Amino acid sequence: MDRRRLHKTIVAAGGALAAPALIRPANAASESPFRVWYYPVAAGMGSRDVTPGPDGSIWFCGQRNGALGRLDPRDGSYTLINLGPNAAPHGVVIGPDGAPWITEGGQNAIARVDPADHKVTLFKLPPKRPNVNLNTGAFDRQGIYWFTGQSGIYGRLDPKSGDMTVFDAPRGSGPYGITVTPKGDVWYASLAGNHIARIDLKTGAAKIIEPPTKGQGARRIWSDSKSRLWVSEWNSGNVSVHDPADASWRAWKLPGGRPRTYSVYVDDKDIVWLTDFSANAIVRFDPANERFTSFPSDKPNANVRQMDGRSGQAWGGESGNNRLVVIETFSAAGAT
Amino acid sequence: MRSAILLVCVGLGCAPVDADDLGRALFAGCRACHALDPAAQGMAGPNLSGLLGRRIAGDQNFDYSPAFKQARARNQIWTRERLDAFLADPEAMFPGMWMTARAIADPVERNALVGFLADPKAR
Repeated sequence: MDRRRLHKTIVAAGGALAAPALIRPANAASESPFRVWYYPVAAGMGSRDVTPGPDGSIWFCGQRNGALGRLDPRDGSYTLINLGPNAAPHGVVIGPDGAPWITEGGQNAIARVDPADHKVTLFKLPPKRPNVNLNTGAFDRQGIYWFTGQSGIYGRLDPKSGDMTVFDAPRGSGPYGITVTPKGDVWYASLAGNHIARIDLKTGAAKIIEPPTKGQGARRIWSDSKSRLWVSEWNSGNVSVHDPADASWRAWKLPGGRPRTYSVYVDDKDIVWLTDFSANAIVRFDPANERFTSFPSDKPNANVRQMDGRSGQAWGGESGNNRLVVIETFSAAGAT
Repeated sequence: MRSAILLVCVGLGCAPVDADDLGRALFAGCRACHALDPAAQGMAGPNLSGLLGRRIAGDQNFDYSPAFKQARARNQIWTRERLDAFLADPEAMFPGMWMTARAIADPVERNALVGFLADPKAR
């Protein structure tokens, strides 16, 4: 694209063109397999949950300015899409239709943004379900969108018909992160409820599975390639893994004095990426050797609340600094 | 949205929404992390019983974010005015705070929520 035309596009959308900043990790010698890039976005937007688009872009939520952003990592340019009055988007995922789908907490609705014309379509929650504090969503293998609400609900939306069903979560307040396994199961984590739960896709009933650490604060959950569930435990500072195949659990405390594990993301190599608010860092965990590698932000108050990625790239939103961050992993042959 | 309904109802001669009910309804979204019962501990957020008149970051049993710990060191107190300003834009008051909190733009809603939190009997 012509750079001058791109600049005009971004100015019109309210975003200043800014080159991404490459930061080498403190311990980086030439042999380091990691590179960290920061992408500044709009001031004050509270850039939080991210997801990679099929075209190479990164979609991100601006919970403070009510916008959905679309970043072009090639040059750091971005577009902001206004989701509506009082919008406060929390989570974003790409649907089977290639569009971003958003848990739009401000309007108590699931939002779809058309990637071509940026038209916003809202699927509002029923009037008897006001202010559910929408959190995160995920598409199952049948194309049904499942979502959580921290006030104590989870629900399903059929994107084709617009039919929505909302369920009361067992044990009330808390449903937070949600994930779909390769086997097709849907699980969510309950922060206030201190558990994870599997949803019966036919009946909609949720079955609680108790982690072994009491009061752990299970915040986010992500499946690996073997359908094991990785959990970020906010209160305990652990990362844990549950294998439904044998009902087992394992847990590891993140390094540091008092870790607070906010998010978990598992990449296509089954490497586990976590965010630790106490350390102000993204933390990489390799289950094969049980080793942690920490990537502290170069600025205070990063507050990365969620991560997602594509092969060789782990992305997050620094909600406290209004930047996106990506950690690229390189092998000797190039990005893995 | 709630304040619009309140105003429209007043304009149409409907009975106004009770402020206590409105405050209670607004706090519903906070209950996932906060409690008003002093005996309720171990939640993701600090206990908010006795908030008005308490020092900022004053729950002794809670591990606050650096942003709130810095505020505590300044010995500031939660007043109605400060709480109203906080609810209008939480991150503006405490940049880098760990909690995600949507700003409440409507002063009627903020006033109702402050009133609810100020009531020592509220649970």
